[in-house]
Amino acid sequence: MHRRAFVRLLAAAASAKAAASLDVAAEARSRVPPARPTQIRTGLPSLRVVSSYAPVRSDGMPGPYPGQVVAVKSDRSVDISTGQANNEVVREMMARGMRALTGAGTTREAWRRFFDPADVVGIKVNCGGYPHCVSAYEIVAETVRQLRDVGVPLSQIYLYERFQNQLDETNYAPHLPDGLQIVAAERANRNTDNSGYDPATYLDANLFGEDDTRSNMMRLVSKRLTKIINIPNMKDHGATGVTGCLKNIAYGSFSNVARTHQRGKSHTYSVVGTLASIEPLRSRTVLQIMDGLRGVWHAGPFARTTKYVFYPRQIMFGTDPVAIDRLLLDIIENKRREQGALSIWDRSPGSLKMDDSRARDADPNVNIIIREPGHIEYASSLGLGVYDLAKIRVRDITV
Amino acid sequence: MTSLLVVLLAAGPCVYWTQGLESRPTLEAAGVTRICVAPGQVETWRAAGFAAVPITETEFASREALPGPGVMGRAGVASPTRSPWIVASGWRIARTPAAKYAYTVPAGKAALAAAEAFTYGADAVLKIDPADLASAGAMLAFIEGLPAADLPTIADLAVVDDGSAITGEVMNLLARRNLLFQAVKAPVTRYRLNITVGSAEYSREAASDPSAFAQKVRSQLTDEQRSLRVYGSEVVIGRLTADAGHARLHLLNYGGREIEGLRIRVRGSYRAGTAHVAGAGRLSLEDQVVAEGATEFSLPRLGTYAVIDLR
Repeated sequence: MHRRAFVRLLAAAASAKAAASLDVAAEARSRVPPARPTQIRTGLPSLRVVSSYAPVRSDGMPGPYPGQVVAVKSDRSVDISTGQANNEVVREMMARGMRALTGAGTTREAWRRFFDPADVVGIKVNCGGYPHCVSAYEIVAETVRQLRDVGVPLSQIYLYERFQNQLDETNYAPHLPDGLQIVAAERANRNTDNSGYDPATYLDANLFGEDDTRSNMMRLVSKRLTKIINIPNMKDHGATGVTGCLKNIAYGSFSNVARTHQRGKSHTYSVVGTLASIEPLRSRTVLQIMDGLRGVWHAGPFARTTKYVFYPRQIMFGTDPVAIDRLLLDIIENKRREQGALSIWDRSPGSLKMDDSRARDADPNVNIIIREPGHIEYASSLGLGVYDLAKIRVRDITV
Repeated sequence: MTSLLVVLLAAGPCVYWTQGLESRPTLEAAGVTRICVAPGQVETWRAAGFAAVPITETEFASREALPGPGVMGRAGVASPTRSPWIVASGWRIARTPAAKYAYTVPAGKAALAAAEAFTYGADAVLKIDPADLASAGAMLAFIEGLPAADLPTIADLAVVDDGSAITGEVMNLLARRNLLFQAVKAPVTRYRLNITVGSAEYSREAASDPSAFAQKVRSQLTDEQRSLRVYGSEVVIGRLTADAGHARLHLLNYGGREIEGLRIRVRGSYRAGTAHVAGAGRLSLEDQVVAEGATEFSLPRLGTYAVIDLR
C-alpha cells in the first residue's frame, strides 16, 4: 500500500478497541558485573504529555507478567559462520517460549492469551540494524503464523516501522503471506512527513532549543491497532547504552525523536520511558519478543558491517519491557567487557568524541554521546516494569 | 513611469529579462508575464502583452542584493536534518521595507525567492537561472491568483534597530525561529519585550551568539505566548498578518522537499480556514481545533510556499 494512501486511510479511520499467570520457577541470576546502580535523577527536562487516551486494559506494559522473563536459547538457532538462522529451530524456540511465559498447554492457547480474531495487531520490528541485525525474518514470520492460527485475519496484521526506506531495504514481504500490511509513517528520516502521526497525541519538550518541540505518536498506533507485539534486537546504542524493548517501541512509534540526543548530550534518560508510557501505546503493547539471535555490541543501533555483530542465539519473551531490557544491559555490557570495550556506563569526557561517528565506528572505546543506560531504571519509575535484578524472575530454556 | 514601476512591483517580484522579443515564446510557455527589461525594450514588450518594467543594469546593480534562499551546510554550526542553516531574507526586508532589492538566484531557487519577496512585500527584481523559468512563472502566477488581503503584520516583540550588523543577525535568528518581531526605531510600549542590543539586559556580548540570544528571547516570551508555532519541520518560516476577524499566514519552505502534515498553531480563535498551496491549489485544512485561545491545524502539503487564510 502506498504510504500516503495508508496515512489517509488511517486519518479517516475511527478509533479502534488478560492473561494467565506465569508458571516459571523463580531463578536468581548471578551476572558479572551487575549493572551500576543508579538513582532517578533530578533536574530533568520538562516533558509535557498530551493524550486523550486513558488506559483501556491491564495487559499492556508491564502486563500480566511483571518482572518475569523467559529466555530460550539454542546454539542451533544461528549458524555463526554464515549468520543464517535455522527456521525450524526458531519456531521451536518461539513455541517453547510462549508456552513457558503463559503456562499454556499448547502454543495456540499461549497466543490466545493475548490475541483474538477481532484484534488489529501491530508488529513493531526493528530495521535500523540492516543488513546484519534486524528483527529476524524467521521470528516475524512465525509471529504472523501464530496470529493467523488464532484467527487474526491478515488484513488486521500490520508490520510497522517509522521509515519506509528501512522497511524497503529489509524487505520482509518475501517472508510473509500476501495480504499483510507493511507500513511506515515516513519515507525516510528527513523530517518532512508528518501525516502518519497523530496531531493530538504527543510529547512536548524543548530539549536543545529546537523549535519543533513535539514528538507525535503514529496514527497507526493511536487510531488503528488494538494490540502491539514488540520485536526489538539486542543492540548497543550510542545514546541510550542499549536499545531494546523500551527504545524500540518508544522511538519507533513517535516522530521527531532524533532531536533528543546530539552534541554529546542525551536526553534519552527520561524521554524513552516517557514516550513508552504514553497512552494508548502503553496499554496496547501486550507482548515483548526480544530477538537475540544476533546482536550488536558497539556502534549500534546500526550494523552496516559485521565488525561488532555477535550471536547471543536466544529469544526473550515477556510482557515487561523493563525486565527484559535490564537483562539486555548485562548482555551488552558483558560482551563489551569481553571485547575490551568501554563500559556502556562510562561518562568520562576523555572517551567522548562528540558527533564523530567515524571515530566511534572505528574504536569501541569512543563515545559520541554520553550514553544513558539509566533510561531503563527511569522507565521502571514510571511503572513500566521491574528493574531490580533481584526481583526479576528468569526462566532459561535450552532448545 | 515611476508610479507604474511601483504598482507593478507591488503586485509581486519581476523577472529580470535581457533577451529580446524573440524569446517571447519561452516566457509565454513558462507563464511569465511580468518582466523587468532594459528601458529601450519596454514598449516592445508591452506591445506584446507583457507587464514590462524598465530597469537598467546599473539600477539592478545598485539595489540591495539578497542571497539565494534555501538551506546550507555549516559544519559545527548546523546539521542538515536537526538544525539546518537557513538562508532567508525576510528579516532584511522587514527591517528595511522601503528598500529596493535584487536577487541573483542560483538554479532551483527562483520560485522560493519569488515567494519570499512577495511574502514580505519587497520591491524585488529576480535574476534567475534559465532552467528556473517555468517554476518561477508558476509561482508568479500563483501569487497573482491569491485573494487580496491587506492585513497588519503580527509581531510578539520589538527589536530596536540601530542598523548594526549584530542587530541584523539577531533579527535573522529570531525570524529563523519564527519569533515574530517588529523592527522599530525606539521601544514601543505595546510590546512586553523590546530588544535593544547593547542595553543592560541585551548586551552586545550576548548578541555575539545570536542563536543563544534568540533562545533567551524565546524563553522570555514563552512558547505559550507566541503567535505562531510550526511543528513538523525546522525549515519553514512564517509571516503572520491579521486583523480582528481574519488572519493570513504565509509559509515558506526553505528545505527544498515537500512537507506533509505540517502542524501550525496560531494564537486566536479561527473556526474556518483555507490553504492556498503553490503547486497544489486550494486545500482544506486538516485536524483543525480551537482551544485555549489558539487555533491548530495541519497543512496536507507544502511545497515551496503556501498562504493560509483563517476566519
